[in-house]
Amino acid sequence: MADESVEKGEEAGAAGEPEAGEAAEGADSTAEPAAESAGGQDTAESEQAPEAAVQAEAIPARVIKPDVKFVRDVVGAGGSDLKKCYQCATCSVVCNITPDDTPFPRKEMQWAQWGLKEKLTGSPDIWLCHQCNDCTAQCPRDAKPGTVMQAIAKMTIANYSISPIAKAVGSAKTFVLMALLPVIVIMAAIGFQGHFSDVPRGDNGAIVYSKFMDIYRAIDPIFTIFFVIAAILLIMGGRRYWSDMVNNHVSDGGSPPEKGFFGNLWPTVTEFLAHKRFRKCDETRDRANSHLLVFYAFVGLFLTSAWAFVYIDIVHRESPFPLYDPIKILANVSAAAGIIGITMVLIYKFTHAGKISRGSYYDWWLIGTIYVLLLTGIGAELLREANSAVLAYPVYSLHLMTVLFLFIYTPFSKMAHMMYRMVALVFARATGRDLGVE
Amino acid sequence: MSDKVLVIGGGISGITAAIEAAEAGMESVIVERNPSLGGRVAQLYKYFPKLCPPYCGLEINFRRIRQNPAISYYTLSEIESVSGSEGNFTATVRINPRYVNEKCTNCGDCAAVCPAERSNDYNFGMNSTKAVYLPHDLAFPMRYVLDKSACNSVCQACADACQYGAIDLNMEEKTVDIAAGSIVIATGWDPYDAARIENLNFASIPNVITNVMMERLAAPNGPTSGKIKRPSDGKEVKNIAFAQCAGSRDENNLAYCSAICCMASLKQATYLRDADQESKAEIFYIDLRAPGKYEDFLRRLEEDDNVTLTKGKVAKIEEDNATGDPVVTVEDILGGGKIKKQFDMVVLAAGMEPAAKNGGIPLNIPFEDHGFVDGDKLGAGISVCGVARRPDDVTTSVQDATGAALRSVQVTARAVQTAGGN
Repeated sequence: MADESVEKGEEAGAAGEPEAGEAAEGADSTAEPAAESAGGQDTAESEQAPEAAVQAEAIPARVIKPDVKFVRDVVGAGGSDLKKCYQCATCSVVCNITPDDTPFPRKEMQWAQWGLKEKLTGSPDIWLCHQCNDCTAQCPRDAKPGTVMQAIAKMTIANYSISPIAKAVGSAKTFVLMALLPVIVIMAAIGFQGHFSDVPRGDNGAIVYSKFMDIYRAIDPIFTIFFVIAAILLIMGGRRYWSDMVNNHVSDGGSPPEKGFFGNLWPTVTEFLAHKRFRKCDETRDRANSHLLVFYAFVGLFLTSAWAFVYIDIVHRESPFPLYDPIKILANVSAAAGIIGITMVLIYKFTHAGKISRGSYYDWWLIGTIYVLLLTGIGAELLREANSAVLAYPVYSLHLMTVLFLFIYTPFSKMAHMMYRMVALVFARATGRDLGVE
Repeated sequence: MSDKVLVIGGGISGITAAIEAAEAGMESVIVERNPSLGGRVAQLYKYFPKLCPPYCGLEINFRRIRQNPAISYYTLSEIESVSGSEGNFTATVRINPRYVNEKCTNCGDCAAVCPAERSNDYNFGMNSTKAVYLPHDLAFPMRYVLDKSACNSVCQACADACQYGAIDLNMEEKTVDIAAGSIVIATGWDPYDAARIENLNFASIPNVITNVMMERLAAPNGPTSGKIKRPSDGKEVKNIAFAQCAGSRDENNLAYCSAICCMASLKQATYLRDADQESKAEIFYIDLRAPGKYEDFLRRLEEDDNVTLTKGKVAKIEEDNATGDPVVTVEDILGGGKIKKQFDMVVLAAGMEPAAKNGGIPLNIPFEDHGFVDGDKLGAGISVCGVARRPDDVTTSVQDATGAALRSVQVTARAVQTAGGN
């Protein structure tokens, strides 16, 4: 039964896409019902693909391998209106940031309906999309292309990280389980230092967090280990994504990108620093500013951490640093920018009328984490200044847990978008698929 | 018990229902809101299936009305209320004053002296008429009408100019009660308001017009005397684009397929092509619907090298400031890219909206989701036909109207049977 349906799908694919490449794409609408009918069966990718390819060898053919599970996953990941799409291409037209050549997201809607997983996950376009949602606002079928693109992006992150972990991170049901790891690590660190009962104070009884969590024995080893693991996972994912994009590009007749990743990195970064693409959105133009603030807040806080490492571990200055110290100014300004930015995100989510979704658990996971991270960070600083030990230590502990939580799950969560979007933007530039920001 | 059929609406469907019922031995009466019969069909340049001018068909029907004493009609009239039930309806009809009586000979002396003008709704506002005007060249009844809202009421010029005493500026509205055994709803459609399709900028770009306007531009009795000239500067159109599904099949506008727009655009492409061998037409579509024998018509256009059919919906129209040309943006789905193209004029293949949706019929009418009358749920003795029931072309609407006439005949037959049985 399963074999039969697979064969049907294969045949339709072979017949429906007589030529390789984009040009044949619109002609194969006949293949859709067959792909759909395969959807009723519980089939995975077929082992019979080579045979079907041989049969069709007389005419140059590319066999479509509908990955039905992928279609279901896209639907499950938020793209529930995917199948309403009737391929009118309003979305591609109203999108201000798509390249003109084989624009998105119309083709992604079709690929997703057909379960062409490799084409989607190994395409830069999923991440060239900045979630303006102009497409969703104007879609005549209410198929929500923006939401579908986001669902595919989510699945791309799972695809290039460790899928079961990514699924668990993306599900509200497993939140407590996920949160357990950073909680245990930080609690254990407090416990090993014996600081549940008695915490040493600084001069005049001031609260000094480095006396609560020792920099050399606790902070450095814990955060370095998890940071390195996260960085390795992210980089591995980014590399696999890059090589998949290169392979797809070459098999579609393109030449491998010149100068490679690093040769194209700098112009991409400088473009991104101004968030010019975000500003091309019509419906959600406001997001450019909120995202910019949060983005720079993270850059600022990352620099603060690096700076602190230099101060403490290399120059051996004692923390806490006075408020007028440049590191403190950078830290506080960054935190404030982050709070303002993320609050703007929150306000837009709630005030934006119309069809654009307020986001899924996946989005709220990141918003929530950033909020808790920033609020506990600022809270810990204020409570330390207020010398309120009862509150300061728990809030500081929660802050550390949240930072660790974000570190650990970055490769598996929406936070990983920073890697994949960057890689996609660099790839787009490297292959000339860059819109060029006028 | 009355065997009269009350037909609401005097377009092609209503006329057909009234005539067919009358020719089957019933009496019928048409109540039409406008000053003349013929409805939307009278505004077309040519219509399917034979691509003849609509007056081919309408003239025949008007003659059947004239010759048949069992058919009566009221123009400028609206139904005020309906009471009773199958076999015994009573409708109160308000007849708005025409200010021109049956003595009118269409000499036009009144319009010649009339100082006031009104926007010509027959030509979708693309030109104007005097306040006293003939609805159009082949209007039925062939009689002038005065639009008092456009007229300076102290002026007597038209009445003074009329040699026949046909103008009665003191005419007042009247109401009449009509007894009827059955009712046929044939209220037809209005063109969808294209200004509501926000991304297509119909309201702000003069050279973006709708398909119904295109009919008037091509018609010899239209605002440009049949020369297809664009509104902004009167330049003859050589290069035209049709944007299919403009507002139809669109959750933001009309969620349904209006059924006729594909064939209408294909037909309108021939207006331009037949008039000028050098002209070019491009039709941007999602899917082309050419059912049944209409497919031959589609093939004919596909073979024309100057007609391009491009798969991809027009989702953005801007104006080139220097030329006034509309510039459309589409994704050419089969060609693989997003393109911008400049045309002399763009025709929006806008859809049909059921006229009954917005009220005006004092009956408890069951509507389906899109505002068409749900025929299955209508009360006994009431039926619906034509575009009031569903979006359809003229041919299908006429067949549908014949069916409605039969249902009215059945009402009488049932009454006779019941009476005989007792």
